[in-house]
Amino acid sequence: MRFSDTMLGAVLLVFGLAGGIYSQSFPAIPGQRYGAAAFPTAIAIGFAACGLAMLAAGWRSAGVPLIMRTEWTRKPGALLAVLVTILCVVAYILFARTIGFIPVMTLILIVLFRMLHVPWWKAIAYAICATLVTDYIFRSILLVPLPFGLMPRMPW
Amino acid sequence: MDPIIAAFELVMTWQVLTTLLMAALFGLLVGAIPGLTATMATALLVPLTFFMDPIPAVGAMVTCAAMAIFAGDIPSALLRMPGTPASAAYSDEAYAMTRKGQAETVLGACVLFSAIGGLFGTAVLIFAAPALAEIALNFSSPEYFWMALLGLTCSAFIGAASPLKGAVSLLIGLFVATIGLNNPAGVPRFTFGSTEMMAGIDFIPAMIGLFAVSEVFRTIAAGAPPWEGVQGKVGNIFRNWGGMVKTYWRQQIRGNVMGTLIGILPGAGADVAAYVSYAVSRRFSRTPEKFGTGHLEGIVESTSANNASLSSAWIPALVFGIPGDTITAIVIGVLYVKGMNPGPTLFLFNPQTIYAVFLIFILANLLMVPLGWVAIKLAKRLLQAPRTVLMPIILAFCIVGAFGSNNTAYGIIVMLVFGVLGFFMEENDIPIAPCILGIVIGPILERNFITTMIKSDGSIVAFFDRPIAAGLGVFLILVWLSVLVGVIRQRRSGQMSEADQT
Repeated sequence: MRFSDTMLGAVLLVFGLAGGIYSQSFPAIPGQRYGAAAFPTAIAIGFAACGLAMLAAGWRSAGVPLIMRTEWTRKPGALLAVLVTILCVVAYILFARTIGFIPVMTLILIVLFRMLHVPWWKAIAYAICATLVTDYIFRSILLVPLPFGLMPRMPW
Repeated sequence: MDPIIAAFELVMTWQVLTTLLMAALFGLLVGAIPGLTATMATALLVPLTFFMDPIPAVGAMVTCAAMAIFAGDIPSALLRMPGTPASAAYSDEAYAMTRKGQAETVLGACVLFSAIGGLFGTAVLIFAAPALAEIALNFSSPEYFWMALLGLTCSAFIGAASPLKGAVSLLIGLFVATIGLNNPAGVPRFTFGSTEMMAGIDFIPAMIGLFAVSEVFRTIAAGAPPWEGVQGKVGNIFRNWGGMVKTYWRQQIRGNVMGTLIGILPGAGADVAAYVSYAVSRRFSRTPEKFGTGHLEGIVESTSANNASLSSAWIPALVFGIPGDTITAIVIGVLYVKGMNPGPTLFLFNPQTIYAVFLIFILANLLMVPLGWVAIKLAKRLLQAPRTVLMPIILAFCIVGAFGSNNTAYGIIVMLVFGVLGFFMEENDIPIAPCILGIVIGPILERNFITTMIKSDGSIVAFFDRPIAAGLGVFLILVWLSVLVGVIRQRRSGQMSEADQT
């Protein structure tokens, strides 16, 4: 996904304007000229300025499509692979608490390994090993409270 | 003398030394894998450091980063794929040497001059930092404001392919920094009613997202193909070390000095140092025509520079609390967590910890030689590790690391959002480093701006009232002017070449 200068410029300009206008709603520090709004407003002006500069550059190089697919995204399945990866992380966020770290992470790893064409038995073996090692390092050594969910506590 | 002895006692324990060794191996591994950067290695290490004492935590990061920057040279030479961006400057050159059958010479030079460069940067750190801290004790908000602005300027404009895109990245980082309650007015900004966002965007998950997750996305999208054409045979890397030092002492010293200077500049790090040094080496070489055909000269200079800058980037970080590069940006976050608030007072109240950090720097650079040798020996094996297995496991580490920074799923959400953002930025050639520095430096900039304005009752003159502040301000304005002139000149020459073509 590659935005042309015109597209990127327009996005930045809109973002800058929206941010700038929204910042004006921040209350001032009583008796002071510069308060909570000063810094966000300056950033918004910066965004808008960069947006305008990009629009100007886009104007000069007319004829470039607004959104271009970079070389690798034209490969079949490339964008799908990214989407599946994102969904895996989302699935972890949604289900890890109720189901538990070990089953969810094992499943996610199997899905990703399979997507990258790792053979079944290797995918399952690697997924289980990697999950258990991560669990051991983070839960037992580093005391990160990884969610148990349905799983009983591991013996370590 | 007491603090130095205390520092030795802090460092020379089994726990610290084992941690250093493990961190070194981790850094070598991550640095040697193309696409995984030294910054990413450091970011992935952060969740592990939360549970360590301050000294092993900081030591682990120092060692890991130093090893990763060196290890980036290995795939450069064997695959023509830089392991870290800091090796990209001389990747073609190193690979050309390997094709000529000189892999051991180039890798030997990389180990040797990386270690020497690192030690040089450390020496400057040891001598300059306490002296600068004395000066920094006199700093007040206007000086810190200028320092912060200098850091931001350097990160966005020095070494950037497109200053405009560097600025966009910087603004993204600054914007992210404004989110939350943590501002001089104590007003919730851009939180849209979310309680979790009140605390601001947690820096660690954001880092992991920008550097690690985005790379995982990219590799997975490409189907994680194996690397091709690993050049296997590497002979004795220790051959002719004396000769190389003798032949290239000039380049080496210049690389060390240049790298150290760039490292000291807040905001510019190892990759910039390597690019600048390579260019300088070519400019002053007696045989510039040999560059690009497998010539050691430029490699020596830039590999010295990137490791030197790594050490000296700690000078602004420790003395002013303003990161010298992306790695120290992460380190500053960890220092705060560990109660070692970076700034001149660190030298007053905690000299033994500072000396311990110095000691670790020396140890890390000495460790580089034996461990580097092992890494080079194992490189072929390492580069055959299938990325199809590696990438999902890295993602798992990212998820757990992001969760571990605050023990909430919110961290993972932040990581994912920044992963997608980083992916999108890379797609559009927007550099990531300025964004990181924006996130870290943004609050410093705002706080010191507002404080100065409150002290001076809103008069801008306050920024030039004090001598050091005025000097810094004028210096910064000169930097801006030079960037502006550079852009205009570039545009003009671009137009001229267009006119020539038509």
